[in-house]
Amino acid sequence: MPTNLISPAERDYILKGVEANVRADGRQRGDYREVSIETGIISQTSGSARVKIAGGTDMLVSVRAEIGPVLVDSETGDGADKGQIICSVECVPSASQGWEGRGADDVNNELSQIMARILSSGNAMVDSTSTDASSPSATSKPSSTPSSKGGAAGIDLSKLCIIPGRLCWILYIDALILDYGGNIIDALLMGTRAAIFDTQIPKTQLQEFGDGQFDFELQDDTEDMVTIEGRENMPICVTLNKIGARYIVDASPLEELVTEARLTIAVNKYGQVCGLQKSQEGCMEPSLLLEMIQSGKTMGQALIKQLDAKIEAEAATDLSMRMQGKPPQKYGFFAQ
Amino acid sequence: MQVSFLSPTARGADGRASSRKDDQDMDLDFSDLLGQHQTPKGSKDFKDGSIHVVTPGETITSDTQFMRGHGTYVEQEKLVSSVAGVVERVNKLISVKALNTRYSGEIGDVVVGRITEVTQKRWKVDVNGRQDAILMLSSINLPGGVQRRKQESDELQMRTFFMEGDLVVAELQAFFHDGAYSLHTRSLKYGKLRNGSFISVAPALVQRCKSHFHSLSMGVDVILGLNGYIWVSAYVPQNLDEIDTEQVYSNKNKEDISAEDRERIARVSNCILALAQELMFINDTVITFAYEASLQYPLKDLIKQEVKAAIANEAAASVDNLRG
Repeated sequence: MPTNLISPAERDYILKGVEANVRADGRQRGDYREVSIETGIISQTSGSARVKIAGGTDMLVSVRAEIGPVLVDSETGDGADKGQIICSVECVPSASQGWEGRGADDVNNELSQIMARILSSGNAMVDSTSTDASSPSATSKPSSTPSSKGGAAGIDLSKLCIIPGRLCWILYIDALILDYGGNIIDALLMGTRAAIFDTQIPKTQLQEFGDGQFDFELQDDTEDMVTIEGRENMPICVTLNKIGARYIVDASPLEELVTEARLTIAVNKYGQVCGLQKSQEGCMEPSLLLEMIQSGKTMGQALIKQLDAKIEAEAATDLSMRMQGKPPQKYGFFAQ
Repeated sequence: MQVSFLSPTARGADGRASSRKDDQDMDLDFSDLLGQHQTPKGSKDFKDGSIHVVTPGETITSDTQFMRGHGTYVEQEKLVSSVAGVVERVNKLISVKALNTRYSGEIGDVVVGRITEVTQKRWKVDVNGRQDAILMLSSINLPGGVQRRKQESDELQMRTFFMEGDLVVAELQAFFHDGAYSLHTRSLKYGKLRNGSFISVAPALVQRCKSHFHSLSMGVDVILGLNGYIWVSAYVPQNLDEIDTEQVYSNKNKEDISAEDRERIARVSNCILALAQELMFINDTVITFAYEASLQYPLKDLIKQEVKAAIANEAAASVDNLRG
């Protein structure tokens, strides 16, 4: 069906429904739809996850670890001992009518940048109170350089460095959006977290030749893989859509069309705000903005807890299957 | 806040896939998948198990004695499928019935559509078909008298009747030579939709019935478009003789849609989606059964897959009871 079209009567019905706390599909303002998630379904990647929100949204997130040269900031000399994370999001043209031809380019760029901003911000450890006090006009956080802590959204980038000044692990996070049913950003970050949790990279061993020359050796043993350090500190997103004087989570496509202003709040498991992104033309009162950030934080924390429980449960099942010498049971593309 | 994170299940599972414990879980049973998609519950076809599944580009037969039907083409004297679906044979005619198709209309069908474009003397309407349907300015009731001739001023103010994005219910009147549908709204039953919400299901699930306009007993109106687009709205008493023609094109919802009305509308919408999820035919009786079955669950649980399956199963049982 044509996206981006809605009739005035539907708009009014959704608006008043949000006001009355009865949304078109019977949810209340703070209710999420069911999310189905499966990890480790693409064997060519270091880690992968497929996330589906009941009602449409469907995406595939993969993490690919490759060895590449370190990226050194020519001014500050920063980054010589750090790995990198590179994000890219692509929308499948057949998923939505608006994404045909060049239509998806803008969405791809926007989503890739939001993701990069959230994941590469070194400010994962921003004190939550200081964000509250920040001016409401600073609605989008500029992509900041990694802080001295060396963390990228909680991930310890220095652990990804192999030979300081020369080689490091580069984590390519690629997302493919297969179907659109609203609330893509939240699903994207859930998928990223699940995929990073699924990721294992080989251990490397540094060898020194004496005259300042280094080389490294990859350990082939699959038993000797390591997980990404600091992964549990990665943030996820809660997107709040302001409709009328209220706001809702997990908007459906029609609700997204009625949305006046949208606030995406990236939160880590400690409830700390790791990023804010405001989109759409509408505006919001400073008091509402603070309220939205506050509820984004509590929701995000709860969301991470439940997501982690799901990821851990799946990992445990997979492990027990492996112990029995059987391949883990995955539905992959045969899933409903 | 509670969010349900689920593991995926196999398509068309019916609870079977999740309960299977055998080692060959990965080779999925295609007859299960297709039996579900091909034939809505209650249909007796394909019980012999001889299902021939094809994907686009797959050769069906190289025997030249067969004729090509829908969903097939001939390439290098071989009959090749152009869609993913199930092969059907009637004597020498071979066709492939696709698993998922767009709406293909017939004259007289009641459809729900969304205006996508306003052009010279006509509107383009999305009806889930292969191309947009066309609603001519001459095929609508103009305000100020049913039999009024259209004037140039009407042409200039077409957007006051229907605007891009508006939802309409119309009847399929004729086909254009290129296969596009021509619609009309020349009855007070048809026209702009208000006071409710829109849902979409597979077109094959809506059967042709005597009437597609239903006022259900719980106080919810439903319009079942044969194209799979369904409009669920608050009950509006209709007296076809006294409708003000000016009101037909109004964008205003009625003022007094209460929270209870909204809950009922949402419940009916979710029941219809539950039936669609379980690939059951959708008509007013089944919707009522599903609604009754749904009353034991709180409204916000109705978006859960599991609850939907339970509701649809209960509705199917009620239908079986009715048949005796």
